[in-house]
Amino acid sequence: MRLEKLPAAMAKRLAELECPDFTTTPWVEAKPLSERRVAIVSSAGLVVRGDKVFRGRDADYRAIPDSTQANDLLCSHISINFDRTGFQEDWNVVFPLDRLRELATEGEIGSVAATHYSFMGATDPVQMVDGAREVAGKLKADNVDAVLLTSV
Amino acid sequence: MSALAHYLEDEGVPSVAIALIRPQAEHTTPPRALWVPFELGRPIGPPGDAAFQKRVIVAALGLLETRRQASLIADFPDDDPRETPDPGWRPPAVPAADGAEGTALAEALVAELRELAPRYAQSCTARLRSTVGLSGLPPAECGDYVAAWLRGERPASPVPDMSPALALRFAIDDLKAFVLEAGIVSGAPSSRQLGDWLWNDTALGAALQVLRHECLVSDDERLKAVAAFFVPALRVLPD
Repeated sequence: MRLEKLPAAMAKRLAELECPDFTTTPWVEAKPLSERRVAIVSSAGLVVRGDKVFRGRDADYRAIPDSTQANDLLCSHISINFDRTGFQEDWNVVFPLDRLRELATEGEIGSVAATHYSFMGATDPVQMVDGAREVAGKLKADNVDAVLLTSV
Repeated sequence: MSALAHYLEDEGVPSVAIALIRPQAEHTTPPRALWVPFELGRPIGPPGDAAFQKRVIVAALGLLETRRQASLIADFPDDDPRETPDPGWRPPAVPAADGAEGTALAEALVAELRELAPRYAQSCTARLRSTVGLSGLPPAECGDYVAAWLRGERPASPVPDMSPALALRFAIDDLKAFVLEAGIVSGAPSSRQLGDWLWNDTALGAALQVLRHECLVSDDERLKAVAAFFVPALRVLPD
């Protein structure tokens, strides 16, 4: 986002939004991209139709199986201050599963994960720690070694 | 989002974040992030442009192959071409609801939804999908429920496990999706074009401004809480 396109007050609020402080940055080395198994983890409050929607600043997460069809993915993010028409027109704008499948077919990446995950991005990230660690365990069990984190 | 990158990487799962707000990524110092200049809500860029979207994803995932750095934040160079308005796009015609209030506005809303239903169905067929569904109610029932609030009623929740206020919030989310999806049958409208139509020209836009105001001055704390999620900050009309 080019913040200069927003009204100054909104740009300032977004730029100065309270975020957690980290004193170190972890870094995992891994194999070439063409051999990696890739999952999407989104903070867009995505839910599979019929699953429990995010109702507020929930700290838990939802699983999105690879078999999910575009018609079955909804966005229940609590914020209304971001564009939803892109996602309405094409789910890949937020959840690029079709693109990952194409990249796997083309050999750019190794494979696509069996399950993807979504959190509610408006939640205090510190409250997501337990959920994130649980998701990490599930990703490792699926042999995922690359995560594409998408926010809105 | 960048915090999640820390938590996952701590557990041994490599990640790359697509960051829309660069100062937040700079503060949170994820292992790797690709800043993109796209509008909020579009981390992968333009809808319907697979080649562009793939360039974004490859640029992001490519950061996984760099050598260790303290925190790597790269910039994607290209803007989203779909931010440019489509001069050929025309919004669906809707009945005028200028200045209507109360029962008249409720009737205008229901009439508008009925008028847009064929366009919405056409849009669903073209996209093979809909994002309506958060309330669990069909669009017409969402319209009836919101119309009841506009008439000054305090209807019971039509959704078994939701309070009336929460059902109102999700019914409104569904109606916004219904109307906007009816607007993307043809052409390549920008989000600004669609938003201008929704908030300036439709009965739904007018209804949500009214409901927001009424709920904010209500003595029901739950209504006050959900009212903040009816109208985007940039579209709120001054009192």
